[in-house]
Amino acid sequence: MEKLQRVRPTVYPVEKVIIPDATSFSLNNGVKVYEIEAGTEDIMRLEFVFKAGQVNEHLPLLSSSCNMMLSEGSQNFTSEELNRTLDYYGVFMNQSAEKDYASVVFFFLSKHIEKVLELSREVLFRPVFPESELNSLMKKRIRWFLINREKVQNLAIDQFYESIFGNKHSYGYQIKEQDFNNINTVHLSDFHANNYTPGNMAIIISGKINEKTNMLLDQYIGNISPGVPLKNNHTVSLEPGSLKKVHINKNGTVQTAIRIGSATINKRSQDYPALKVFNCILGGYFGSRLMKNIREEKGYTYGIHSSLSSLDKSGYKIISTEVGSRNTNMAVEEIYKEIKILQEQPVEKGEMTIIRNYMSGEMVRMFDGPFALAESFRSIWEFGLDNSYYYRLADKIRTIEPDEIMEIGRKYYKLDELFEITAGSE
Amino acid sequence: MIRYKKFSLDNGLRVLVHEDKSTPLVAMNILYDVGSRDEDPTTTGLAHLFEHLMFGGSINIPDFDEPLQLVGGENNAFTNNDITNYYLTVPSANIETAFWLESDRMLELDFSPRNLNTQQNVVIEEFNQRYLNQPYGDAILKLRPLSYKVHPYRWPTIGMDIDHIKNVDIDRVKRFFFSHYAPNNAILTLTGNIDFDLARNLSEKWFGPIERRAIQSRELPPEPLQTEARKLILERDVPSDALYKVWHIGSRESTDFYTLDLITDLLAGGESGRLHIRLVRERKMFSEINAYMTADIDPGLMIVQGRLMKGIDINEADKAVEEVINSLLNNENIKQEMEKVKNKFESSTVFSNTSILNKAASLSFFELLGNPDLINNEVDSFRNVTHKMMADAVRKYLVPSNCSTLSYISTRKE
Repeated sequence: MEKLQRVRPTVYPVEKVIIPDATSFSLNNGVKVYEIEAGTEDIMRLEFVFKAGQVNEHLPLLSSSCNMMLSEGSQNFTSEELNRTLDYYGVFMNQSAEKDYASVVFFFLSKHIEKVLELSREVLFRPVFPESELNSLMKKRIRWFLINREKVQNLAIDQFYESIFGNKHSYGYQIKEQDFNNINTVHLSDFHANNYTPGNMAIIISGKINEKTNMLLDQYIGNISPGVPLKNNHTVSLEPGSLKKVHINKNGTVQTAIRIGSATINKRSQDYPALKVFNCILGGYFGSRLMKNIREEKGYTYGIHSSLSSLDKSGYKIISTEVGSRNTNMAVEEIYKEIKILQEQPVEKGEMTIIRNYMSGEMVRMFDGPFALAESFRSIWEFGLDNSYYYRLADKIRTIEPDEIMEIGRKYYKLDELFEITAGSE
Repeated sequence: MIRYKKFSLDNGLRVLVHEDKSTPLVAMNILYDVGSRDEDPTTTGLAHLFEHLMFGGSINIPDFDEPLQLVGGENNAFTNNDITNYYLTVPSANIETAFWLESDRMLELDFSPRNLNTQQNVVIEEFNQRYLNQPYGDAILKLRPLSYKVHPYRWPTIGMDIDHIKNVDIDRVKRFFFSHYAPNNAILTLTGNIDFDLARNLSEKWFGPIERRAIQSRELPPEPLQTEARKLILERDVPSDALYKVWHIGSRESTDFYTLDLITDLLAGGESGRLHIRLVRERKMFSEINAYMTADIDPGLMIVQGRLMKGIDINEADKAVEEVINSLLNNENIKQEMEKVKNKFESSTVFSNTSILNKAASLSFFELLGNPDLINNEVDSFRNVTHKMMADAVRKYLVPSNCSTLSYISTRKE
């Protein structure tokens, strides 16, 4: 075959991302609404987010159980009627309870906004928590739990949270089988009354928003009493475990799960954008140091990643992988080696350019379309931040120099502070 | 309505373009008409292994990912029984880099033995991670040869024996490339912020000079009709029993496809699906249950799978599943339920088509099926399913003689 003239195309710098600001206003009862108009299709994403995560619970599983039980029957609908009606209107509903927040998100065709608001009012503010449904849910959850505990990645991540945050704090404690027997409907009603109030909530709405939306929001949600503001009585402190290395033995597995990391700063810190860059070089994309070494060089794993997560009262960094069990020690050693190299040797120019452009491209993707915009908005709103956080991040991606990357690595990835959790056969 | 334009290059490459100026990105999807069904029974898993090799450098470019990351792009790929599909997104100013990269690896790979060796290890770890190190992970590996005796769908995409992957050599890899990877065996789709004229010019410039290749002909043995129920019992150290039932269905292009799709939605489309309502909520026999179709091009499978609650007899659970399926033949409530799943299908299609990547993948696949208009017509086909069509399909396909049942039994004493 004749050789073709294949001149590499010009590389154009990724343009600075322009982030549409959310419009905010308050309903009659004071609930904050954030609206992001975006997209071409007549669809909407409507999120109700409450400060009702695990940090607000006094019993393990309470926040997640309350969140799941919201759709198990309300004053005017049984769970079956509710689910059937949502499906009939083509509505997708996602419920979730995380460490700090709990939320219910609806995805739907804009023309069904009124129906969705009517149903969401039932789900959020009028649940009745029937005892029989709670019993069924808990029996199912035990089965899910037992199956999940068969997976080395779950064994490792549960231990990881306990190790870095302590077994007293809700960020850290591990769920046990008997915890599923300790939740009753009174706990749920109390938790709901205290936490699922308009005063403890915000609404994030994105997509094709029509002129009737705001009026309907007030009509369905704006007249619900805001409730008594909740004083945060959470007093347990974060106490990392004393053992830096923990192995959980699980016989007969062919792969071992590895989780390495520790508690760290969150988005509110000035250093966070630089730490994001460090993390990305280390293990945040397909071309990362860890991926190149441990997957593409050595073939120890199908994948290895490092990530940063922000929490209200903390944050953490974590390196995650599953490797053939016989390669566990070598993989762990290589992980530490890659961290050390990034702390000691300046990243070369070529790799700096790749990381700047790749991360700039990622930022474009983070704000592409109504769903991505809403998620990106929520993840700064939680921390009381605005889009200036993203502009700072974008600037840092463009201007960070190799010296600062090494410095950030030395400051936040102190090797003797990292926890090393493994789960698998010996 | 998704508007697209279509043309072919002289070398046989088909190109589809859909402009969407609401995004700053462009998606590029290249579908190769090769999947695990095209493998030799002695070298299964090769199509998927090959997908990994496609990232290890091409004739003029030592690494695929780096130049793409350098222009702010992101990419991935998947392989299934029928196709190998590569996709990426990139800020629109840098779309030419994507053409340069994708056309170079269509032109020729660099076939480095070192890369082959690494990717063999990576794929073995992928196999371990997905199938061996997960509870119930091997069920699907056992289901395929239970339901298919002849057709290549009898092995999974990862391969029927991991030794096939271990033993592949570089000559085999080369032969595979030149008999499947070619402009005349591929479909290129561009969606997002790109003008049709630019897409056309860049396609000509970068893919135009690649010559046609002789594609290995596809003569797949049809699966003989199954005439009696098949059963398999597996005993494993898992917390709960699990039940898997699979039925042969028609091909992707058969008129029954949307009817069966609707049936799986009636059975298991969300929390209000019949299997969930009857067997999880009411009778409390399963902790979770699901139904889906494999959506293969050749006649595929409908699968129902569920995990049992403690103390439930698996034969009772099996009977209960059949009862729920047969309940679709009653007229009670069915009209409204059909309307419900049709509405849900419509809205999920709208959601799916908000993503330029989804649109690009769908257009490519529908072009392979010979009808890219399906991207706009599928909702109507789904809406047109009548109660009679639904009941006929239940009677035709979802019968015991066409079914294979896998009972996955927990050996654990609780």
